Amino acid sequence: MIHVRDVVMRLSSGGRAVTVLDGVSLDVARGECVAVTGPSGSGKSTLLGLLAGLDTPSAGHVVVDGVDLGRLGEDALARFRRDRVGFVFQSYHLIPTLTAVENVAVPLELAGARDARTRAAALLAEVGLGARGHHYPVQLSGGEQQRVALARAVSREPGLLLADEPTGNLDSATGAAIIDLLLRLNRERGSTLVLVTHDPALAAQADRQVALRDGRVVAAAPSPV
Amino acid sequence: MRFALAMAWRETRAGWRHVVTVLACVALGVAALVGVGSISVELQRTLAREAKTLLGGDVEVRAMRAVPAAVSEAVARLGEAGAAIASTRELVGMVRGADGGSLLVEVKAVDGAYPLYGRVETRPAAPLRELLSGDGVVVEESLLHRLGITPGDAIALGAARVVVRGVLVSEPDRPASLVSLGPRVLIGPRSLEQSGLAALGSRVRQRVLLRLPATTRPADARAALAAAIDDPSIRISAYDDAQPGLKRFLDQLGTYLGLVGLVSLLVGGVGVAASVATYMRRRRPTIAVLKCLGADTRTLLLTYVAQTELIGLLGSALGAGLGIALLPALVAVTRGVVPFALEGRADPGTIVRGLAMGGAMTLLCALWPLLRVREVRPAEVLRQEVAPRARGRAPWLAALPIALGLAGLAIAQAGTWKIGAIFVGAALAALVLLAALGRGVVALARRLPRRGALAWRQGVSGLLRPGGQVPGVIVALGVGVMLLVAVALLEASLGAQLDHERRRETPSFFFIDVQADQRAPFERLVRERAGVTPTLTPVVRARLAAVGDEPVTRALVDARRAARGGQQPSFLIREYALTTASVPPEGNTVTVGRWWTEADARRRPLVSLEEEMARALWVDVGGTVAFDVQGVRVEAEVTSLRHVDWQSFSTNFFAILSPGALDGAPTTWVATARVPPAVETELQDAVVRAFPNVTAVPVRDVLERVNGLLAQMAFAIRAIAGFSIGAGLVVMVAALTATRAQRLYESVILRTLGATRGVVARAFAVEYACLGVVAGVGGTALAVALAWIVMRFLLEAPWRLPPLTLLAGVLTATVLSVAVGFLTTWRLLGQKPLPVLRRE
Repeated sequence: MIHVRDVVMRLSSGGRAVTVLDGVSLDVARGECVAVTGPSGSGKSTLLGLLAGLDTPSAGHVVVDGVDLGRLGEDALARFRRDRVGFVFQSYHLIPTLTAVENVAVPLELAGARDARTRAAALLAEVGLGARGHHYPVQLSGGEQQRVALARAVSREPGLLLADEPTGNLDSATGAAIIDLLLRLNRERGSTLVLVTHDPALAAQADRQVALRDGRVVAAAPSPV
Repeated sequence: MRFALAMAWRETRAGWRHVVTVLACVALGVAALVGVGSISVELQRTLAREAKTLLGGDVEVRAMRAVPAAVSEAVARLGEAGAAIASTRELVGMVRGADGGSLLVEVKAVDGAYPLYGRVETRPAAPLRELLSGDGVVVEESLLHRLGITPGDAIALGAARVVVRGVLVSEPDRPASLVSLGPRVLIGPRSLEQSGLAALGSRVRQRVLLRLPATTRPADARAALAAAIDDPSIRISAYDDAQPGLKRFLDQLGTYLGLVGLVSLLVGGVGVAASVATYMRRRRPTIAVLKCLGADTRTLLLTYVAQTELIGLLGSALGAGLGIALLPALVAVTRGVVPFALEGRADPGTIVRGLAMGGAMTLLCALWPLLRVREVRPAEVLRQEVAPRARGRAPWLAALPIALGLAGLAIAQAGTWKIGAIFVGAALAALVLLAALGRGVVALARRLPRRGALAWRQGVSGLLRPGGQVPGVIVALGVGVMLLVAVALLEASLGAQLDHERRRETPSFFFIDVQADQRAPFERLVRERAGVTPTLTPVVRARLAAVGDEPVTRALVDARRAARGGQQPSFLIREYALTTASVPPEGNTVTVGRWWTEADARRRPLVSLEEEMARALWVDVGGTVAFDVQGVRVEAEVTSLRHVDWQSFSTNFFAILSPGALDGAPTTWVATARVPPAVETELQDAVVRAFPNVTAVPVRDVLERVNGLLAQMAFAIRAIAGFSIGAGLVVMVAALTATRAQRLYESVILRTLGATRGVVARAFAVEYACLGVVAGVGGTALAVALAWIVMRFLLEAPWRLPPLTLLAGVLTATVLSVAVGFLTTWRLLGQKPLPVLRRE
């Protein structure tokens, strides 16, 4: 499903070049659930961004679902994400001007689905927010917002689900509920899941863990289930 | 597409601040276009529709002297062909009431056929012929009040005794005159003969009016008359080319009105651009998320263009409604300035045009900031600090069509290429200068050492706030100040010209048409009554017969007129008042050549010309001009050119001849006298009683009338300029609101760190004051340039720079900036820190 080969990512920070990823290679099989761990600044989020085609690596290749992302233009990448990738963020990134149901409907509408609203409402019900579809993000708690974001991420039934610290802003009980929901949705739909976290308990629930430090893969081991 | 439209609507729903700002900016601009444009269209239409009525006929023959036989014959031939003919004679004279009170009036003698077009409205409503039969006259109501008489009373007009039979309500061929010397008196031809006012040497305007049968075209009739009448001082006009002065005035008014619309629209455009820029900066995270979710740039661009255009069209519609609603007020404001009554009807064409202009302006002004959608990178959802992508490969590729579009819009609205191009150039210069000032301030604030009180340091660094829109605020406020100060400067210059109170030598009276045998008794009377000796100047009426070897013929006049784009070569055809003098009169300075000596004058007739006249006639020192002095030709060599201070209100002349050159010509005298105000009325009454033919022009009265008109015009100009100034204010509010979130955060941080609300308020005040001072200085400087150009090239009037007006400009901007700034941000000071910090 995912082939990452010798990826290098350099960013300029305050006028200084910083190497965020330094020759990362990684393979993820279809349907696999992988947790990427490591201290902050180790390049986890950057790697996740590259998998989604949010950015282009300075060197190396990222191939997802047989598509070499380096060969796609900005708009082709957008369509690629629309059709094949679901994304969950640490800070939810709901669109503040849209209601919960409208937020969930966005990927469906972008794909031109006629019944976007109905399907979005059904998805909201599935994450337990059936009654709160007309609320705006500011009217929802953190956990509720993250559930809306989950519903949005799976709305197009993408082959690849990416989650960037999905519980980082939540208290532990809410976080655990979100993780259960994420894993359940992932299992039910049979998609590939790449999860960035520095919560060992959460990482332990993945099929496999990949540890990053200073932009390099330092350990890749199956989780002790 | 569906997604883009749905998303556009949802974004609009949520961003009310942005929506209101753009709405207001567009609405004000379009309101100005529609309101002011409708007035302009109605003026042109009325002029076209009423042209025959305003002229008084299809064709008019106008002469400043007795109509020669050739004219009568040519007119009679047209009469035989079926044309109706009416004739009028107009002059200025004096009437006296029974109790001896006198008044300057505009007399018009009409025959039975008058009017050929339109209706003379009188009270009581009766046929004019009946009212004017025998010794009857019809007068304007103000005459009754001024003389304290009622209809049925008798008044003296020159040597005639006439009876007021009715009140004149409206006169078709006398558009509400901008300045009249006195109330109208309509009389019959016999009364005029009896009054003796139409004597030789008096200024009588003779008009022969023709209403043609359908078979004769006005242009043909005009041509036939022109062929028969060679004397070019006799003006022949067909209704469709008549009233060139009025037409020019209305054209200028139309241009002014159009420019006000354009300025308002452009200032609104600045506001739209500023608001959209801020809005797009705030939408950046949303755009990044949408890109992350799979929206391509095209869809997003479409979303925000659709949203902006939606608001723009709504704003245009609102503006059109506002413009229509304001029409009655605009009619009221312009009442004193335009020569006929307007109904204030909205013009559908103008409305459609306003809507289209509003829509196009919104799109063009918003496009540049909207294109920033392309720069947003989806990775920003992960890292805020992602370096923004540079503008597209060639940013000017996008900027060029936008700039061209805006220039096209300006030229389309201005009406002509020339005015449009001047406007675009001036607007560009103003925008560039103000924006540069804004950037300069930011650069200066960055260099300034951080010393002094906390509020001062914080205020100055506020100018450096990212996305702080310093240039935007300065442009918006500066344009508003520029308009305000420019109007004030123009008023000051025009007002100074007429400020007669400060002119000690200004005479109280001009007495016109003093006859040779009346000079001694007249002088005696003035001395007895007022204790001063009047200055008497001989005047001979004449017209120009030749310039050099070239006789002034109709062919020459027509050729010159064509060369001047249809404008009358007035110096060729005007009626001249000539005089003789042995020394240059006061207020006259010889600029070219030299004044004559007695010996020079004895040899042959010499003439000194006023500079502008010489320039218009293409004649210089050494050339000759010939005058036709009531049938006698007087040729004189030009020996000097003079600069004349026309503002001096003494008797000034275009042409002064050497002593002896006019001997034997029919001469009247013009007298000026400066008398104490207390005896003015008494003197006027006494002179008119003793010399019924002498016309007394009370200067104070006339000046007050002119002042009143100017005040009305200034008010109209200011009221209309208000549109543009209002747009400037909206833009400023918008620009200040744009930084609201940042200000809130700053104020909260400062207060968390222990600053009182007073300190925070002072810091904001410093920032707003800096903005105001800079915008004030920039706007005032631009206003000086603008007003100077207008005075120098358009009004050709002397230039004055009152320092207080300049100071007031800067102060106004500062006060406005601080006031508007506080109005938009004072509530921030009351917000509790914790919720704000938590939100961040």
